[in-house]
Amino acid sequence: MQVLMRRTVVTALLAAAMILGAFLPAGAPEVRLSITKGFGEKVIVVVSLFEGFGGGLIEAEDVREVLSADLRNSGYFSITENLEFVDENEEDDRSSGSIDFQEWLALGGEVLVKGRLDVTPAELAIEATVYDLAQGQALFGRRYSGIPSLWREAVHRLADDIVEQLTGERGIAQTKIAFASNVTGVKQIYVMDYDGENQRRVTTEDMMCMYPDWYPDADRLVYTRFRGSRQETYSVGISTGEASKLTSYPGLNAFAAISPRGNEVLMTLSRDGNPEIYRLRGDGGEPRRLTFGRSTESSPCWSPDGRRLAFVSDRAGSPQIYVMGAGGGTAERVTYQGHYNTSPDWSPKGDLIAYTSQIDGVFQICTVDVNTKEVVRLTSGRGQKEDPSWAPDGRHLVYSLRSGGKSDLYMLDIYELEPLRLTSGAGDYLSPAWTP
Amino acid sequence: MRRTVALLLTGILVVGVSFAMQGCAGKDEEMEDLTAQQEMDEAGALAGEDLALHEQPDDVIYVEATSREFEDVQFDFDRYDIRPRDEATLSGIASWLNEHANVDVLIEGHCDERGTNEYNMALGEQRALAARRYLIGLGIGTARLSTISYGEERPFDHGSSESAWAANRRAHFAVSQ
Repeated sequence: MQVLMRRTVVTALLAAAMILGAFLPAGAPEVRLSITKGFGEKVIVVVSLFEGFGGGLIEAEDVREVLSADLRNSGYFSITENLEFVDENEEDDRSSGSIDFQEWLALGGEVLVKGRLDVTPAELAIEATVYDLAQGQALFGRRYSGIPSLWREAVHRLADDIVEQLTGERGIAQTKIAFASNVTGVKQIYVMDYDGENQRRVTTEDMMCMYPDWYPDADRLVYTRFRGSRQETYSVGISTGEASKLTSYPGLNAFAAISPRGNEVLMTLSRDGNPEIYRLRGDGGEPRRLTFGRSTESSPCWSPDGRRLAFVSDRAGSPQIYVMGAGGGTAERVTYQGHYNTSPDWSPKGDLIAYTSQIDGVFQICTVDVNTKEVVRLTSGRGQKEDPSWAPDGRHLVYSLRSGGKSDLYMLDIYELEPLRLTSGAGDYLSPAWTP
Repeated sequence: MRRTVALLLTGILVVGVSFAMQGCAGKDEEMEDLTAQQEMDEAGALAGEDLALHEQPDDVIYVEATSREFEDVQFDFDRYDIRPRDEATLSGIASWLNEHANVDVLIEGHCDERGTNEYNMALGEQRALAARRYLIGLGIGTARLSTISYGEERPFDHGSSESAWAANRRAHFAVSQ
């Protein structure tokens, strides 16, 4: 059963690499969106119902739903929701054989996405064209092909292409989130799509596995496993299933964090009698100790340039976030508000560190600017929120929220602050790590 | 869980080691409590008094003749210093270890559920290490004392009350071969 499961994962991922995207020849070679938006202003997109045949495997409505959610989740777009009118316009276009841009403009849209499905049991093709409604012109068109079971992957890719073409930024629709869950009774490592779909188990151990982190290729994870009375750090290839041991020292072997280039690891070990931060080669080797003292040094993470690290220390009497050079040396305290600040994660795009802060007895997610030390609180309300992890866009965070005796993962756009719940199954979902 | 309970009880009766249980009276009474607790668990009513029946890590092999359950050492919230009231417990463990030179001890550090999961894992290790340092100070060889942190992963008491939290902030001593 376990072997079977792993094989399925491998097949699915190999196939995922085989979704092909190709520009459609139609449309002008280089057309720019005719509108410019200020910070926080959204481009209004109309997602029409795709034409063609889903082969009984894929519904055009599902494609529209996933694409709309992806575009909305990117933070750059709002989606026209009066679908009755949208579908009416689409029908008119189909019967006239042309696109009535005036009618689409009348719906309040600025950008229109139209497309076509062509699905056989063996092959999937999704074609989409994106129009600038004010100019009445196609911006770009693309065709995605692969096996039908990967239709979500294809739609995510389309969404990321739209984000990139229209904003110049990299989208997050194709990213993944690793996490630990006890749905099977013992905590294991899982991976899911950024939107909570397509959850699959990565570790198939009968021992507790926790604290996953990604290598930069997004195909390998490091994690801590509890083998009998020992903690060990292991790495596992997702498409290969190959696992190898990094460390197995007495005491803590935890919170491994892979460097941006993937060739080094930070982690907490207590082999010298105290929890301290150590730096190792990406494949293990002799750990180099970076912190010294009697206090607790824990939860290291890298700065995006790999030259600094943030970690938690209770050297001042309570757990606080500190920053120091990746070679060790003097550490600078960056959090001064509150008496319990833990689990830092450094934004891939700059100077913000997301962390967990206890405020009025409840753990909330905050960011602190490394330079100005300015703190911004991102969450509110009851429920313990923990363990933020940045998406590669530096705009979204995933974290766990404990409520009603159960932990689930939530996604948050730091400019909008409306949490989106990603998991809902039985059991706890913890320690999320977004792909780099 | 039930099997562990039965096993430990047999151990107590056969070996006759005096059980160092918190605030309990006679052995017979303990057994009665235990049965009652089991029934309550099965009925789903739950929450009785604490019994010193800890889950043990998989690879610890219990030695019949030297089997011994020690009292946990407890800690204040977010602290890992040994409290004066627990010094006698540690001294007792040290003298027992001195008399059983072939026995090692795994010290498990545990936390209550209130901290963050990650920091609790580090804090649990600090608690185990504090107990270890204390035993080393009493002359126990370093090679006989290993540590592991379970953070908040294996609470002794699954409740969310002050008394449950207090019972969960602990260093637990597992005797191994």
